[in-house]
Amino acid sequence: MAAIESVLKWFTDPAHWSGTDGIPTRLMEHIQLSAESVAIAMLIALPIGIVLGHYGKLGNVAINVSNIGRALPSFGILVIAFQIWGLGDLPIIVSLTALAIPPMVTNSYVGLREVDPDIKDAARGMGFRGMAQLLRVELPLALPLVMAGIRTSAVQVVATATLAALIAGGGFGRYIVDGLDQQDYTKLFAGAVLVALLALATELSLGGLERLVTPRGIRLLRVRAARPATAFKTA
Amino acid sequence: MNRKLSSGRLFAALATIVLTAVACGSTSAPAASKGTITIAGFAFSEGTVLADLYGEALAHDGFTVNYKLQLGNREVVSTAIKSGQVDLYIGYAATDLEFYNKGAGEASGDAAANVQKLNSHLSSLGLVALTPSTAIDQNAFAVTKDTASKYNLVKLSDLAAVGGQLVLGGPPECPTRPFCQPGLSRVYGITFKSFKALDAGDPLTFAALANGSIQVGLVFSSDARIAPAKLVVLQDDKQLEQADDVVPILRSAVASDEAKTVLNEVSAKLTTADLVQMNSQVENLHQDADAVTMAWLQSHNFGM
Amino acid sequence: MGHGLFLQGEAQPWILWDWLFSHVSRFTDALQQHIALTFIAVTLALVISLPLGVAAQRWRVVRNPAFVIFGIVYTIPSIALFALLIPYTGLSATTAEIGLVGYAVLIILRNVVVGLDSVPPDVVDAANGMGYRPLARLLRVELPLALPAIFAGVRIATVTTIGLVTITAVIGLGGLGQLIEEGLVDDFRTPLVVATVLSILLALVADLFLAGVQKVALPWSRSA
Repeated sequence: MAAIESVLKWFTDPAHWSGTDGIPTRLMEHIQLSAESVAIAMLIALPIGIVLGHYGKLGNVAINVSNIGRALPSFGILVIAFQIWGLGDLPIIVSLTALAIPPMVTNSYVGLREVDPDIKDAARGMGFRGMAQLLRVELPLALPLVMAGIRTSAVQVVATATLAALIAGGGFGRYIVDGLDQQDYTKLFAGAVLVALLALATELSLGGLERLVTPRGIRLLRVRAARPATAFKTA
Repeated sequence: MNRKLSSGRLFAALATIVLTAVACGSTSAPAASKGTITIAGFAFSEGTVLADLYGEALAHDGFTVNYKLQLGNREVVSTAIKSGQVDLYIGYAATDLEFYNKGAGEASGDAAANVQKLNSHLSSLGLVALTPSTAIDQNAFAVTKDTASKYNLVKLSDLAAVGGQLVLGGPPECPTRPFCQPGLSRVYGITFKSFKALDAGDPLTFAALANGSIQVGLVFSSDARIAPAKLVVLQDDKQLEQADDVVPILRSAVASDEAKTVLNEVSAKLTTADLVQMNSQVENLHQDADAVTMAWLQSHNFGM
Repeated sequence: MGHGLFLQGEAQPWILWDWLFSHVSRFTDALQQHIALTFIAVTLALVISLPLGVAAQRWRVVRNPAFVIFGIVYTIPSIALFALLIPYTGLSATTAEIGLVGYAVLIILRNVVVGLDSVPPDVVDAANGMGYRPLARLLRVELPLALPAIFAGVRIATVTTIGLVTITAVIGLGGLGQLIEEGLVDDFRTPLVVATVLSILLALVADLFLAGVQKVALPWSRSA
């Protein structure tokens, strides 16, 4: 197929591997925008989800925030952020952070709630109290779900960062928006492939990390497979 | 405005919108149409003004006019008209010529000659360009007053010596368009430090000039926001830009004598000053493009 | 009529109320297009994913390729997918729907399979014992039990699609997304903010509406 051939040629052209519009530069931009957004979202969302889950408060809010997050039109949020903060990385990172928070809150809340009450009782019996119980007993047990939330958010952010190019941002979205405007479908296709690969790499690496941090005891238990409600797509 | 009032009004507005959306069906079609013409507008603000202007004139004459406004840039719009998804767009003589001849460098300062050559490239595509207007909107390159005084910039040839320190900003297609980055390089020998993809002389470009992420930005000569933004347009002293007179381009299939007469009449009466004035009302005052163009048509005896 | 009440350099209000009230029809038209694009996409996705999901749950030869193909589609950024389809289907609603349906299918498909998987084997055995033939068992026993999960998938697909429709503005459609783009290009906050808020409200209202339908239609389901 001619299309596939020209995309392969695009990838093997050394000109596309250097300079401000080269793949390494765009990759770093894309990773930087995504990583910063996910990191900030973690700092905000995880404490909220963990505390709410630990005390069992505001469960409806913690669960439904995911629905609201899914309802946010990423394009509109980006342009509003551009109106507030002007040109640059700030409006992009704020928007991506806003989109990354909801899945993390919901998953960490659910993770904490699902810790077996018998285990909490046993922990108390062993003398764990308050913070110690949360940090040393509940959190390790909730970690797989907390990590699943981070993974869901991160994959969503990597995909949505593509739209940053609509407000003059960098990253792989540049190839897509520039390719559309230049009617250069090879560049467009290459950009789509790069974003998809980066999303896949994010999914796999965080999935691997998730398995690593899962306590052995839980791994032996049945870790709840494929929750049906984790589909997040905002771009 | 206090918060309570404001949220009450928001609710009222949203309720009206939702109820109307649910209640109203499609609008009724006018009787005895002379034919249907779908007009595309470029995705920059003047694109909407020109599409509305020519579209309203056709509608007044009895055509049924559909609008595809903010459709995209020339690359997107030309794809749409070649496939028959739109019938008409309002282009610019030199830029469209160099677009369809793939940058062969045929464009000159003579708009009529440009359109004649343009038609030789359009005919095989089933398209035709009409008589150009005298209204002109060319690519122009603007810098902030600070940048102009810092580097002593008055004309484009002044950029040749300092281009290596400056970032050029423009629409994503600028690096592939003969009247943009390649033209600056070919005619003036300017090499910029880098290029930043923004938009076609719209808010991203103005914002990038203001915050210094670019120093030179592509704007349009008829844009009314240049002066309020305190920008300086550099003189095109070696005539890179050619006669970019406003010119309707349509599919031959819809180019009836009557449609051509209406379109030519608008082109004949439209001046560059009118265009700048209308752009100003839309861009600076956020008046509705269709109302602004309707007022122009009325005051130019289109009898509405 | 002119409603421009502010000049360059002056702080632009987030909403110009006079402009909004005199342009209500712009928003209703956009909202209608938005609802139509969403409704068609979710309906088609449901029509595709129900039989596909039943087949995928039954046969591994269907399940693996179905999940792989739609999984790949799902990872393509929508803006790229819409743009890549232009040479084939033009700047049309078809282009938008192909992309929107592609994404919604994966969401619903997954839930159809999960829903059918979660039907207890005892129930299937009991149905067999009562003499149900496979098709009748599917229609009268398995699908009703899987419906809550399928419904959850439809809700997620609907809310997701409403958000994605705004991005079809890049191919000249967009529903409310068109007004967002206008806000960007014209540096005009009123259409931008109102269209964004309307898009969020539309998604939340659609979700609540479907939740209500689910409650009435499937009293046996306990939705999350």
